Amino acid sequence: MDLNLLDLQKRLQKNGVLITFSGRFTQEIIEELGDAVRKYMETESTQHKTHDVFAVFIEQTQNVKNYASSRSECAIGEKIANSGIVAIGKDEEGYFVSSGNMLATDDVRALKGKLSTLASLDKVELKKLYKEQMKKTLDLESVGAGLGLIDMARRASGQLHYSIQDIDEQISFFTLKVQV
Amino acid sequence: MENLCIKQTKSTPTIQFDVVNNKLRIEGQSYPENAFRFYEPIFTWLDQYLLEVDKATVLEIYFHMPYINTSSSKCIMMLLEKMENAYQDGRKVAIQWYYNREDEMALECAEEFKEDLILPFELVALDNDE
Repeated sequence: MDLNLLDLQKRLQKNGVLITFSGRFTQEIIEELGDAVRKYMETESTQHKTHDVFAVFIEQTQNVKNYASSRSECAIGEKIANSGIVAIGKDEEGYFVSSGNMLATDDVRALKGKLSTLASLDKVELKKLYKEQMKKTLDLESVGAGLGLIDMARRASGQLHYSIQDIDEQISFFTLKVQV
Repeated sequence: MENLCIKQTKSTPTIQFDVVNNKLRIEGQSYPENAFRFYEPIFTWLDQYLLEVDKATVLEIYFHMPYINTSSSKCIMMLLEKMENAYQDGRKVAIQWYYNREDEMALECAEEFKEDLILPFELVALDNDE
């Protein structure tokens, strides 16, 4: 069956999606979409909100991209690299940034552990954790600083919402929604 | 020692480290693909500069960074720590951190950097038309 773009667009609009991208993330795509997010929001929101949405968008998309590069040598590396998706929108609770990507099932436990730690902390404790993580020495191979999720949890209006669905024995799909 | 100049891009700041006037300037947003790769030559340059520069020299450092992603924040913290160590070592280092007056987030971010440092760190508000 042919893809019906009108139906797809209606579904996106029904869910409040303003901007979305699905596919392989590159730095250029992240920068262009980031500009689009900012331009869109500057016309209708406060500077504070715009900054938060932009920041969460950058952390989410760079996390998806960095995860894909960290798994590029795996047999499922290509699948992971092509599985990125991001949606910025507005619903009854305010602005949100959602991202999704495939994840090696082996990595699920560690991720769940991180997310449940973050969920147990209030904003003051999150700041403390952020500062501790900031002071850790990094190994030279790392692309990220391990700060992205903490930063998003600090900017989120409530908890981070996430789901992990099994696709097969090796692959799961991770979705993260941050309400700002 | 040579000046260090790096041109601004959409996701990386301008770097102007001037060894004649002893002024270091970092200006612009920072969210590159790989922050450590971008900042590494800056760390190396600063280490060398701090080794070579005369102890009595007054070193002025200007920051104006409206947005910094988390991995760049880590790098900025590392730069600030180098400057803090130099200060505690008896060097004259002063930081001026510019932010747009309307931008509460940039101010919060600067205050968090400042919190753990004892070197002179001045927050300067800019009005939008400046």
